[in-house]
Amino acid sequence: MDDNAIKVGDFVIVQRQGYTKLHKLKEHGTLSLGSFNMEMDNIVGEKYSDTFQMKNYPGSKKLFTLEKVDEIPSVLSINIEKSGADNRNITDDGQSQNLTTEEIAKLKSEELNSNNIVGKLITNSRTFNEKTEYSQEKYMKKKEKKYFEYVQIRRPTIRLLATMFYRQDPTKTLGIRSDDLSQIITYSNVQAQGTHLLYDSGTSGLLPAALLNQIGAQNPAHLVHVHPGNECQKSAIVAMNFPQEQLARCINVNLYSVLRCFYQNKDAYNSEPQCKKIKLDDSAPKKPGWQIENEKACRLLEVGVDSLVVAAKEHPVSIVDQLVRFLKGGRYLVVFSATREPLQDLYNHLKERLDFIYIRIVSNFMRSYQVLPDRTHPEVNMTSGGYVLTGFKLVS
Amino acid sequence: MSFDGYKTTIEEGDTVILYLTINQVYSVRAEAKTTSKKGVEVDNVFQTPYGALKCAELIGKSYGSKISLSKGWGYVMQPTPELWTLTLPHRTQIIYTPDISMILLQLEIKPGSIVVESGTGSGSLSHALIRSVKPTGHLYTFDFHENRVKLADIEFSQHGLSDYVTVAQRDVCDCGFGAELQNRADSVFLDLPHPWQAIPHTLDVIKESGGRICSFSPCIEQVQKSCGVLSKLGFQEIQTMEVLQTSYAVQTKRLPVLDLDFLQSEKDGSESKGKEREVVKCLTAVPPANMPGHTGYLTFATLPPVWARNLQISLNQQESSGELL
Repeated sequence: MDDNAIKVGDFVIVQRQGYTKLHKLKEHGTLSLGSFNMEMDNIVGEKYSDTFQMKNYPGSKKLFTLEKVDEIPSVLSINIEKSGADNRNITDDGQSQNLTTEEIAKLKSEELNSNNIVGKLITNSRTFNEKTEYSQEKYMKKKEKKYFEYVQIRRPTIRLLATMFYRQDPTKTLGIRSDDLSQIITYSNVQAQGTHLLYDSGTSGLLPAALLNQIGAQNPAHLVHVHPGNECQKSAIVAMNFPQEQLARCINVNLYSVLRCFYQNKDAYNSEPQCKKIKLDDSAPKKPGWQIENEKACRLLEVGVDSLVVAAKEHPVSIVDQLVRFLKGGRYLVVFSATREPLQDLYNHLKERLDFIYIRIVSNFMRSYQVLPDRTHPEVNMTSGGYVLTGFKLVS
Repeated sequence: MSFDGYKTTIEEGDTVILYLTINQVYSVRAEAKTTSKKGVEVDNVFQTPYGALKCAELIGKSYGSKISLSKGWGYVMQPTPELWTLTLPHRTQIIYTPDISMILLQLEIKPGSIVVESGTGSGSLSHALIRSVKPTGHLYTFDFHENRVKLADIEFSQHGLSDYVTVAQRDVCDCGFGAELQNRADSVFLDLPHPWQAIPHTLDVIKESGGRICSFSPCIEQVQKSCGVLSKLGFQEIQTMEVLQTSYAVQTKRLPVLDLDFLQSEKDGSESKGKEREVVKCLTAVPPANMPGHTGYLTFATLPPVWARNLQISLNQQESSGELL
């Protein structure tokens, strides 16, 4: 069983340098990555982490096919004839490059070969040889990145998805940054056992995917995933290619629907789930799927859950108030918010309740570093995260 | 026995977390007797500002319940890796939850993962790794210090986690990780003074289908050397970062409002002197006066699968052409 083979229907992450994109692999299909469109057919049957070269589709300026490469042809690194000592005489007047935009575009459409293109750009640059060595290196790296002709196919993981979603649009995941996500997972104490309750009103499925991933495969743990819409957001969940038995332990229910079922339909879920064999009566109306899920969820909620995680665009107090009654004593509550004020309200509310201790609100400073010899420093750009509230529910 | 899964009642021998206030959290053992520093067996009594706690009386109590002390009360909590990190006896500098959380996410650890760690240190990260890999995964952790290995082994046993972890004494920089672990690990974590010496050995221990590595180092020079070696050996996605956590205390501040309008005209004696000063109530959250400013740099990287490794090495070489390492 080749676990590493890329199959049709898989969700894959296509990576070109630092740019990643999620793609569902069809037998015949194209993907647009930045300004490049590429035909994905040749990936099927290859292995994850394989690298493919983008080859210009004959006759088309922007379409590329992918050809697997096992090694990068060892090109002689571009020879730098000379460099300057500093930039005192260099003026940036936009006139340094002799090639026109059209000429460069023509090079690109003839053959996307970053080494070749970067070489030509350097040859036609008036100021290149005056730059310092570091500046030349930076220039070459920047141009190489722009014309880089290789893509790699990666298997989706939670951290890759979290970083990708945050980079593309933080609002799609309620502003949850990877450090926030990592702490939601640890502080909630989610494990490969027990029942875990999540209210999520808009993380593109990232939070349920992360918690389901932490629950793992082949064990009895369940995740009750409560959402406010008709259908839950699923992007990250499907991207993870979870096995069916694991997906089955993630019970997706609508907030209003499941609470109504819990309080008003006690008979429906209190009885043992009917075996299919007993139901021989064809005239009995078939229960809709969502109702079955509601009942499954209510049965679990009645026993009580071992963690409660809330990430809401709505004000958290009313949601926590309703859902915290399902949280067993001796367990943790974790609430994420992109802004601090709603958590301040929740903090005071929990304090008044008297059945919560160890209530904390935290946020994080996260910074990446550029590590290069003699050029190590924090990266110039930084992102911002949100706030996480944690609390411990007492046993009454 | 109290670290494995969810427990309702305190049993004899359990490690129990005693919570007094947000800044006073301690770990005790639910046992009648304990050994004093001089090696004598004494009654296990834990002194707190709210009175003494006879630890034997914890047995049979519910986790998450309130317990009375002579001058007040406290709460008993089942230990989690986070609580253990805050209360464990330090044999070395430890790694705290914000870094631990990032490590778990970045190393892609989940139930069933095989994780290799060195050095074990005081076992702070180890407990979190074990929670993540349970029940089908395993943690192999190494330390070159004999006593630390012994203590870690005892603690894992007391905590009921021995099934999920193997501790051994080993200098992984010198000897690698051992033949039994050849190509078996999904993730490797290094917290060593000279991680660049251990990194070459990780190529033998990580699975052929690839894996993730993390090196935690307090000093930037260590990071530079490690990144250099990672690049040379064909690792990709080499990323160094730091994570620092700020905690907030929620307070309602009362801000007096100064009424300065009256100064615009001459005093005519008709204002009431006893006028109430207006106060604006402001719900805010205040960070502490002191907080950690640095713990260590986290360097993460991916080891590509064997079929993609040579390609990565040549890609890295092209990138660093001209660099003097």
